[in-house]
Amino acid sequence: MVAFVLRRLALLVVALLVSSFVIFAGLQLAPGDPLAALSGGRSLPPEALEALRAQYRLDDPFLVQYGNWLVHAVQGDLGQSIAQRHDVATIIGERIGVTAQLVALAAVIILVAGVGLGVLAGLRRGPVDAAVLVVTTLLAAIPSFVAAIVLMSVFAVQLGWFPAVGAGDGFADRLHHLVLPAIALAASALAIVARVTRASVREELEREHVETAVSRGLPRRLVLRRHVLRNAAIPIATVSGITILSLIALSAVVERAFGINGLGATLVQAAAAKDLALVQGISLVLVAAFVVGNTLVDLVYAVLDPRVTVGSRAA
Amino acid sequence: MRRNRWGTAAAAVAAAIAIAGCGRAADEGGTAARTTEATAQDALALDPTTPPATGDVDAITWATYRPVQTIDPIQAFDYPDNTAVTLLCESLLRQHPDGSIGDGLATASHPDDTTLVLEIKEGATFWDGSPVTAEDAVYSLKRNMDERLAGFYGSVFARVESIEATGEREVTIRLEQPDTWLEGELSQMPGVVVQKAYAERQGKRFGTPAGGTMCTGAMKLDAWTGGDALVAVRNDDYWGERPSSVGRVELRGVPDDANLTNGLLTGEIDGTYLAGPLATADQLKASGEVTLYEGPSYATDALVVSAAEGPLADVRVRQALSKAIDRRAYIASAYKGTALLPRTLANPGTWGYGRDVFQADWDRLPEPELDVEAGRRLVEGAGATGQTITIGMTEEIPNLATVAQVVRTAAEAIGLKVKLKAVSAANYINFFVDPKAWSSVDAFPTVNYPDYADPAAFYATFALPGGSQNYSGYENPRVTELLEEARTTADPQRRAELVAEAGDVLAEELPWIPIVAPATVLIMSNEITGAPASFSYMGAPWADTIGAKG
Repeated sequence: MVAFVLRRLALLVVALLVSSFVIFAGLQLAPGDPLAALSGGRSLPPEALEALRAQYRLDDPFLVQYGNWLVHAVQGDLGQSIAQRHDVATIIGERIGVTAQLVALAAVIILVAGVGLGVLAGLRRGPVDAAVLVVTTLLAAIPSFVAAIVLMSVFAVQLGWFPAVGAGDGFADRLHHLVLPAIALAASALAIVARVTRASVREELEREHVETAVSRGLPRRLVLRRHVLRNAAIPIATVSGITILSLIALSAVVERAFGINGLGATLVQAAAAKDLALVQGISLVLVAAFVVGNTLVDLVYAVLDPRVTVGSRAA
Repeated sequence: MRRNRWGTAAAAVAAAIAIAGCGRAADEGGTAARTTEATAQDALALDPTTPPATGDVDAITWATYRPVQTIDPIQAFDYPDNTAVTLLCESLLRQHPDGSIGDGLATASHPDDTTLVLEIKEGATFWDGSPVTAEDAVYSLKRNMDERLAGFYGSVFARVESIEATGEREVTIRLEQPDTWLEGELSQMPGVVVQKAYAERQGKRFGTPAGGTMCTGAMKLDAWTGGDALVAVRNDDYWGERPSSVGRVELRGVPDDANLTNGLLTGEIDGTYLAGPLATADQLKASGEVTLYEGPSYATDALVVSAAEGPLADVRVRQALSKAIDRRAYIASAYKGTALLPRTLANPGTWGYGRDVFQADWDRLPEPELDVEAGRRLVEGAGATGQTITIGMTEEIPNLATVAQVVRTAAEAIGLKVKLKAVSAANYINFFVDPKAWSSVDAFPTVNYPDYADPAAFYATFALPGGSQNYSGYENPRVTELLEEARTTADPQRRAELVAEAGDVLAEELPWIPIVAPATVLIMSNEITGAPASFSYMGAPWADTIGAKG
């Protein structure tokens, strides 16, 4: 267990180092000027541009810039956002909460509704199964920005049940604001999880030991819990883990559509403006979240199936 | 303020899906139906104000196209940041909604034509109650010229010899030569007064979310989370004549048009000044939830000609291209009618002085009419038929992409070949700042505006040798002479005559080709009123007059 955690920590450090270099290099190679975001598309006086270039050391060679960034980052200083004229760490700190809450709420929706629908469809052939198939096909086909617009128009604009803009303050208000975005974010992932759940439940139902258990007259409830769901849980956990982790990146689209100032929306804005330090900072948080999330999924395997030793992935 | 409405919202949503789906906000001009006759003459009479408020309002949420990035006036250079500074701060002089310039924090007088004396009004105080001193004003002005601070308005003070505090409340500016343009600038960002002690204490953090600001306005800064909402509340100890009628203003960046539309429809957003055409404007208008006001603007939607050689360097080809642009279709499709046909490069909203002179000049000039045949003949006469022009553009800013297509259609119709050079939105700025970029194309579209209401302030940037936006090296000695004389002419009528004459020459020679003259579009909830409807909000307070609608 200790070795596992250490291995994962080492992996995290390597992943952060590699991705920080790749992102830095990518942004450097991409054409564009980080100072452009300050002007709103009019010409800026050359003297001011020069002073700003010197202030942010934009004319240093690439490796020097990266080295500088790395030395500061290791000491916990993620640098300054050029466009927002603010510490990157502060910016991230102010936004990470709402994105985490959004993804968490979406994850709850995926796990409850996705797994629930999948089990239901897997166990009940006929109209229920068909209905779930139709609904999930539809959901899987809807991109999150369309889901956002439709949800907003129906539940925010016409019915007025939920707000259309922003993230709200305080727990209840925040939850109220995040319901629609979380549904928009969860919709297509929910469909995938439901489909995989349905398939693995079906597969387990047809296994010999399950049929044997049923034929021996064991209570259906017990068979389902011990033999079907338990064995179906590993593929379900795998696909749920991956889809939920992918939401971290997808949240950008939904955040923008609902005017939520989260990490994703900020990352998109920063990338468009070539705001190097901010892109770096947010990307690293996302990479770290992904690595940590994957580790958690692996731990879940071990809990679900004692035969799985921590660190070796089940098939 | 929350309302529901089914039909209009569905239409808005349909339009929003169309935007989100294909990333284009407008039809291409060339194919659009000509539904509205451009109402040029009506547009000249645009009202710069909205009906006055009849009572106070507690709190409003106001949208800008992106979050506020700075509230340091010397670096406020774009709609959201200017809107935030004018929400909070005041300039030494003030530009009124109709473009005229009068007293602001100070009263101006001219002992002679190279001396400008600014007397700070008695009783003027900062939010903390301390009096505004000449020292604060001098400090604020000089910040513009301090190269280490990288302010964007340093060149405004090019003719200034010295700025000194000559009394407790008296600032004396000595000029190397007369400069009427300086007063225009002092009514805008370069003339904003901040408290010296506060700014020095904050140092590099001044104007950022970490450092804030200390100003004199009727609304004071309450909270600002960087990249998110900026909140201002009523300054109960405001020194001016009347306190703000709005208690709290939340400025919120709403980059997504569909989100903006929905926010306005549900009442979560109470108002906004549009930074560009909005595809859902018609639906909003039809909703009955909000009112769209069209006011005077300083902006011109134009094609920048950067070619120093090649077909567009020939005035006949520029004239030909101008004749072939279908402006009416573009106004109808992209601007939903909220723009007028440009007879000069400067928008009539810039007539901040000598209105009757500019008006008479405008009336004399012909309205640009679509005449492809005449254009073709001009190109033939110039021997340019079959030659290629390169237009810089970006697909990511729908309005600029549309203009590029409109220009392409026009150029091809008159026998030119067109190459489009597409770059990313972030790179588009390079056409304006990087000689390599602008010389790699012959022209590129822009929506461009002067700092304050004066056609000369706009012309000077692209028609004077060495002008900040004179990419093609355009020079006409007559224009230079007229503009230089205008700059030193104190009498506004005479100055207007000089500037109008320069404008006539530029309308003929087209160093830039005007596409349309947009209106300022202000959208407000039907429950509030009182904000200025003109471009003046970019340089003068706009929020404190907002209140309940009677």
